[in-house]
Amino acid sequence: MATVNGYQGNIPAVTAEAGTGSKKAVPAAKSGDTQSVLKRLQSELMALMMSGDSGISAFPEEDNIFCWKGTITGSKDTVFEGTEYRLSLSFPNDYPFKPPKVKFETGCFHPNVDVYGNICLDILQDKWSSAYDVRTILLSIQSLLGEPNISSPLNTQAAQLWSNQEEYRKMVEKLYKPPNA
Amino acid sequence: MFLEILHWYFKARLEELSKIMDGELNEENKYVDKDDMDLDEKSKNRIGEMDIDEGYCQGKFTENNQLVRNIGKVVLDLRNLGFTSMAEDAYASAIFLLLKAKVHTLAGDDYRNSVLDSIKGWIQVTLVFVNAFFTSLSNITVNLTNHAVPLQFLNALLSYLGESGTFENHSSGLKSPLASYPSSFYPGIDTPFESLIRWKLRLEYFAYETLQDLRIAKLFEIIVDYPESSPAIEDLKQCLEYTGQHSKLVESFISALKYRLLTAGASTNDILHQYVSTIKALRTIDPAGVFLEAVGEPIREYLRGRKDTIKCIVTMLTDGTGGNTNGSGNTGDSLLEELNRDEENQENVGLDDDFNTDDKQAWTDAQCWEPDPVEADPLKGSRNRRKVDILGMIVGIIGSKDQLVNEYRVMLAEKLLNKSDYDIDSEIRTLELLKIHFGESSLQRCEIMINDLIDSKRTNTNVKATISKQSQTGSEMVETGVSLEIIDATIISSNFWPPILDEALIIPEHVDHLLSDYAKRFHEIKTPRKLLWKKNLGTVKLELQFEDRAMQFTVAPVHAAIIMQFQEQTSWTSKNLAAATGMPVDVLNRKINFWISKGIITESLGTNPSDNLFTLVESMVDTSKSGSNSGNSEELLTGDEEGEGSVASVEDQIRKEMTVYEKFIMGMLTNFGSMALDRIHNTLKMFCVADPAYDKSLQQLQSFLSGLVSEEKLELRDGMYFLKK
Repeated sequence: MATVNGYQGNIPAVTAEAGTGSKKAVPAAKSGDTQSVLKRLQSELMALMMSGDSGISAFPEEDNIFCWKGTITGSKDTVFEGTEYRLSLSFPNDYPFKPPKVKFETGCFHPNVDVYGNICLDILQDKWSSAYDVRTILLSIQSLLGEPNISSPLNTQAAQLWSNQEEYRKMVEKLYKPPNA
Repeated sequence: MFLEILHWYFKARLEELSKIMDGELNEENKYVDKDDMDLDEKSKNRIGEMDIDEGYCQGKFTENNQLVRNIGKVVLDLRNLGFTSMAEDAYASAIFLLLKAKVHTLAGDDYRNSVLDSIKGWIQVTLVFVNAFFTSLSNITVNLTNHAVPLQFLNALLSYLGESGTFENHSSGLKSPLASYPSSFYPGIDTPFESLIRWKLRLEYFAYETLQDLRIAKLFEIIVDYPESSPAIEDLKQCLEYTGQHSKLVESFISALKYRLLTAGASTNDILHQYVSTIKALRTIDPAGVFLEAVGEPIREYLRGRKDTIKCIVTMLTDGTGGNTNGSGNTGDSLLEELNRDEENQENVGLDDDFNTDDKQAWTDAQCWEPDPVEADPLKGSRNRRKVDILGMIVGIIGSKDQLVNEYRVMLAEKLLNKSDYDIDSEIRTLELLKIHFGESSLQRCEIMINDLIDSKRTNTNVKATISKQSQTGSEMVETGVSLEIIDATIISSNFWPPILDEALIIPEHVDHLLSDYAKRFHEIKTPRKLLWKKNLGTVKLELQFEDRAMQFTVAPVHAAIIMQFQEQTSWTSKNLAAATGMPVDVLNRKINFWISKGIITESLGTNPSDNLFTLVESMVDTSKSGSNSGNSEELLTGDEEGEGSVASVEDQIRKEMTVYEKFIMGMLTNFGSMALDRIHNTLKMFCVADPAYDKSLQQLQSFLSGLVSEEKLELRDGMYFLKK
């Protein structure tokens, strides 16, 4: 199928980018800092839980507060309405000075998301600031769904189709697989 | 058949003997003539004649001795006829029956006296007599000074038969713990004497066992009146030491507990009391605490299932003097006494007011205190060490002292807020005592609360001092008739107090002015601190003047605010009044009941069914109705009739905590789809660490989750929880 091929065409460049990103993130911080990272993540979790924002959520995996699972739902009046996407967030040891790695776990047909779920979002790369937190990341990704950046697409097919919202909606529905546990 | 006749015969003889003895003790020589006659009738097997030298015996024992000898002859004849074992069975069982009856009459239902000594004495006396009697038969001169029944009889038998061996293979099946005493234990004593001792031991054992069974059957009652019934407990302890049948006690007592105490009808206070008494009583019997552990478990288990357990315990701990709590009158003293007694024991003086020594003592104690292990050696443990353990066991019911301390904090807050005179001596004392047991750090917040009160007193005086200065320069406060003088503020550091319920309340304007003036002065003294009034807390003393009477009340601000509205306007509809006082109509309707019940306001149906009309009763027309309340009755503030306090209760706090957990649970289920109970529990433990940290048990979580399931927020399938969509 042509569409599928086209869809996969973008992969190499992105994985390379993600690879370098992870190398940057890994460097071990001093053990004294780990404590403060833990604290920061815990308070972010508390803030996120208590904020009650609808449509975004995230929670650390059972044994590791550096790995979170996130969930965002497509906003109303966008082509993604009624869909739900699972994300994974992995925080570096020197968070919040480096951004977390965020990926879609659920396939998402979106101009700025590739087939492996990698996301092209400025605040997750060069525009990162330690003032951002899990909540703002999730909110940014949620709004990115409705307002893609067509000029630098990871998924060119999606970027081309974006202009035709009706067709796009059909495509989203066709490719959408609801996440399960 | 023959055995029965024999049994009956011995029994009859013994009863007779016993009667004679009793008679002798009371009124001597009552049965003199009857004796011989009866013997002739009943003892058909009797042959031979008496050959004892009566000179050894005092006159009043003659009949006994004759009787004994007659019996002895019967036994001897039976032996000669070849009925040895049968005869022994018969007289042994007769003796035991008699002993049993004796124990029962002595012990009865009186737990306030120790009966063991009298029973022992009874046996002992018997022994002396028997000994004397025996030796008399052996032609050894002994002065006969005492006497008693069973051993007398036995000894007569022994001496008459002139042997002892038979008694060792006696068939009664009882085993004396001392049966194996080597005869060398009594050097120089000949064999008949040894058998006498064996008989004595057997009798004692039997007596102990009988008494023990009797007491165990009634242990529940005995423990109910524990401090008074301690002699009975002491008896039981000795009996058990002798018989070693502790397990009987445990089983019987547990079943009595289950049947009589651990029922829905018993109040938590009563159960706790019985528990404390049980601990104390069983500590006496079994200092190692092993059996107490077994007996206490069902009670603890049951108490854990009751909601008000913690509250009751804290009330018991703190309410030695107050006595105005909702608990029944007899409770509330014991645990505080427990605390006090410790203190007094440690200082060897029963001092009441000397707080300096208390402080010091408390400090040293707090430093060296450590929990008693269950298997602690009781012989080393002093009295107060054991008392500490009682508290430990009480706390053990709840599981953690944190919960108890939390509940105490709420209760303390309630108490302190209702104070109007800064008199907190008893609270300080209780706190100091609690600190000994629970450690300084866990009660730190409570200490701050107490200090707040002390500071309040000082600040209050300071603020008032500024008034008097100003009023000398000429003040404008006079017009309202009330001045700042009448306000006493309790200034609290709200961070350390339990959450305080905020109720909307509009207080009358001039009072509000006073309050803000007070706050201003406070700010001047204590810059940069500002005073924020909790207008719904505290107490108001007011006097109501009517056409024909004046009444004084001490009430909550809510009540005062309500009644002050009637100053200008004698009749209000509930909606208007609610608006004027700034509270919801339903709250108003509840609060105004206070004044209705005092006969000061009447309620009548207004035009609108939901809008009732309240009218002030100006003159005391209906004297019969409010007669009991008339005059200057000083009504004590009893909190609120509905039992709601000004401080958020522990349940409310828990509910609040639980909503945090709910969000976490929702969060994790959103991201993980479905989770088992265990995993939710572990995840909460791991990540819900901020204030309030997750500290619930798996069971608590489960019941909370099933609550969410019934609210249709969650779904439970195959042991996994899902979000309900």
